[in-house]
Amino acid sequence: MTDVQRVDLLDPAEVARLGGIEIVAQGVVEGFLAGIHRSPFRGFSVEFTEHRAYQPGDEPRYLDWKMLARSDRLFVKQFEEETNLRAMILVDASRSMAWRGAPARLTKRAYGDRLAAALALILLRQRDATGLITFDEAVREVVPARVKSGQWARLVRGLVRTPDGRGTAAQAALVRLTALLARRGLVVLVSDLLFDRDLALTALRYLRHRGHQVIVVHLMDPAEAELSGPPEVRFRDPESAASVVVRPRELARVYGETVRREIAAWRTACRRHGIAYHHVLTDMPFGMALRLLA
Amino acid sequence: MTFLHPLALVGLVAAAIPALLHLLERRVPPEAEFPPLRYLSEAERQSARRLKLRHLLLLILRTLLIVLIVLAAARPLVPARTGGATVHAPTALAVILDNSASSGVVVDGRPVLDRLRAVARGSLARTAAGDRVWLILADGVARGGVRERLLATVDSAAVSPRRLDLSAAVQQAARLVDAEPLPAREVHVVSDLQRTALGAGRADVPRGVRVLALAPPPQPPANRGIGTARVTDGAVTVGVVGTQGAAAAAVTVRVRGREVGRALAAPGAAVSIALPPLAPGWWVGEATLDPDELRADDRRVFAWRVAPPARVTAPQDAGPFVAAALAVLADGGKVGIAGAGGARGPDVSIGERPDRRGGARTNVVIPPVDAALVGQVNRALAAGGGPWRFGGPGTPGPIAASSVAGIDGIQVTRRYRLEGGEDSTVVARVNGEPWLVRDPGEGRVLLLGSRLDTAWTALPAAPAFVPFVDALVNRLARGEAPVAEAEGAPRVEFRTRGTDTVGATVYGIDARESELAAAPTALVRWLLGAEVLEDPAFAAARFAGTGRADGSWLLLALALVVAVVELGVATLTR
Repeated sequence: MTDVQRVDLLDPAEVARLGGIEIVAQGVVEGFLAGIHRSPFRGFSVEFTEHRAYQPGDEPRYLDWKMLARSDRLFVKQFEEETNLRAMILVDASRSMAWRGAPARLTKRAYGDRLAAALALILLRQRDATGLITFDEAVREVVPARVKSGQWARLVRGLVRTPDGRGTAAQAALVRLTALLARRGLVVLVSDLLFDRDLALTALRYLRHRGHQVIVVHLMDPAEAELSGPPEVRFRDPESAASVVVRPRELARVYGETVRREIAAWRTACRRHGIAYHHVLTDMPFGMALRLLA
Repeated sequence: MTFLHPLALVGLVAAAIPALLHLLERRVPPEAEFPPLRYLSEAERQSARRLKLRHLLLLILRTLLIVLIVLAAARPLVPARTGGATVHAPTALAVILDNSASSGVVVDGRPVLDRLRAVARGSLARTAAGDRVWLILADGVARGGVRERLLATVDSAAVSPRRLDLSAAVQQAARLVDAEPLPAREVHVVSDLQRTALGAGRADVPRGVRVLALAPPPQPPANRGIGTARVTDGAVTVGVVGTQGAAAAAVTVRVRGREVGRALAAPGAAVSIALPPLAPGWWVGEATLDPDELRADDRRVFAWRVAPPARVTAPQDAGPFVAAALAVLADGGKVGIAGAGGARGPDVSIGERPDRRGGARTNVVIPPVDAALVGQVNRALAAGGGPWRFGGPGTPGPIAASSVAGIDGIQVTRRYRLEGGEDSTVVARVNGEPWLVRDPGEGRVLLLGSRLDTAWTALPAAPAFVPFVDALVNRLARGEAPVAEAEGAPRVEFRTRGTDTVGATVYGIDARESELAAAPTALVRWLLGAEVLEDPAFAAARFAGTGRADGSWLLLALALVVAVVELGVATLTR
């Protein structure tokens, strides 16, 4: 099997056609883990728990040479974290996330759900306690961070249960989140960041201040990065009544510059506060997006 | 500024298209959801001023582009210097192509007419649809019509035997073009500008009519031609014309193809060559010169009649002058005196009344001395069936006669008015009233308004009296007209009455055509009011007064530049 045929490296829309979030996330994670040499989300310390059959891609250092000598078969040793990481994934479910620039692509929400599920699966496999919060103008769904079995299914249900919202009030959601995260841990925000940057950064900065490791995944449809369309069009914000008439060809260059400037502003602001920032286009294979987070 | 196609200017309405499109396009744009509206609003805010300027610039450029294209389509005419003029304002043009006989002269191995045709063609070829054009050839007829037809006429114009009076032609042409309500009027005189082609007076050229004359060749060749050839007293007198000072040339006379005499003569001289005795009847001969550069005048035909002398009887009442003249003519063998022997009766009788008894074929009736006998004579004339009769006394005056040589201007002091007949039978007049008439009644009768006596007229005392009596009895009484001369290709045409030949017309070119010397430029300028120009200057001066250049190419070039700028603004300023 070559890398090109790995599920995690296929076009996200193609992968999404394989089935629901669970199937997609599992396929992605399997492919992703098979393609790396070590787990990217190892805990603070590990303890041996069991053996499993060797798979191509597993690091040779985890091979159990004694088992090999006794049974002439390859096994790798698996370890359980002594101290679990507490990870909370925040998924933006606002109206703007339900948009896609072309029918052949996933909406930002669909892409974000699958990415969040895959990430949760990886974390849970590492025995990290993983939770979920979905939000729009309010917090819609809260799945507390656990590591017990069935947690991933609960997370997936939480994602599926959350409908597309209307506006986005990330700050309120993030404030609510601070109350839910009593212990220090990992916070992953999956959003298109179409809200007030300063307000959102205030909340993220607060989390960071509380000792959380914060990762921001900025989702963007390719059509949002480069302006195109008919000669003249009235663009309407799905979250508000605001609209504007533009000629995409005239504005494309300046718009592109504005978007790049905005991304740079987010990246700079996050870096300044010790927040990891990743810009992800919705046509990016899930494996590559996960690798950004590694 | 004028336009060749002004209707195309209606297309200027199209200049509103960019603005209309702009407005219509803005009216109902399609709507679409676009979440990152904040980025878009920020981009638009940053670009608003630039876009507004760009839109305005594009609107101006596109409107200008349409205006330029529409103006170019209307073909604007802009004033241009002579050399650059490609078109001209509508012009009334008359081209005078002098293809008279002298244009056939060969200079430098090429007929002058070829050069004249080329120049005339150039003038006509420059005309446009809005022009009004005439072509006048040596025949003096003004031909109007479309350019192609006139060009074909020029191409087919051959050397004409006709002489063109340039002054009259220019005046006619100037009047023609002046009557046209067009912005410009020109007359192009394409001629060898012979001095003899110019009339005595100035051509009346109205103001506003521009006359251009082609300069003649600098030095026309020496020429000799036969100007006249007339038969008198058994000899033909040949007058040689042409360039003064040219060497003498051999004149050869032929009758019915047979050479009958030869002599040397220089221009300005005349030679008389005796004709051999010939039988009675009409004869045609020709006088020729050795060929030179102008062939048209090297040959001239002539005609004459050899007739037996008329037998004349003149009673006592005809008067002594008539008797004396007849005696002279009889001595010369020109007439026979009836009653002086011979069995044949008189051909002509001259007296106060028609001779019915003597059997004369023709009676020449003169007024009676006694006024009381006028009524009796009139009754006799009426009895003969003729319409003419003697009326009351007429006023004195000079004789005017075109068909009887030598009597013009001779004074008549006493006369009777001749009344009752048709004008066509009048031979000579005094004060506009008939004085010598031919009565077509029974028997030929000639009526004279005066007696041939010095108490009535000075004619008997004039040298022309004997020739007059000769013509009276030998020609007029027999109903013959003299040999007439007319302009045309050399030939002879005979006039007949019944089965009798009563006269002849001899055609030949005008003797003035043989004098090839060109008129001085100053004289042409003065007489014709013309600018005399050499070929290149003539070509450049045509339509120069209204010379216009077609500005459409300039506008199209501008439109191209505007289009490039528009393309640049539309693409580079996005």
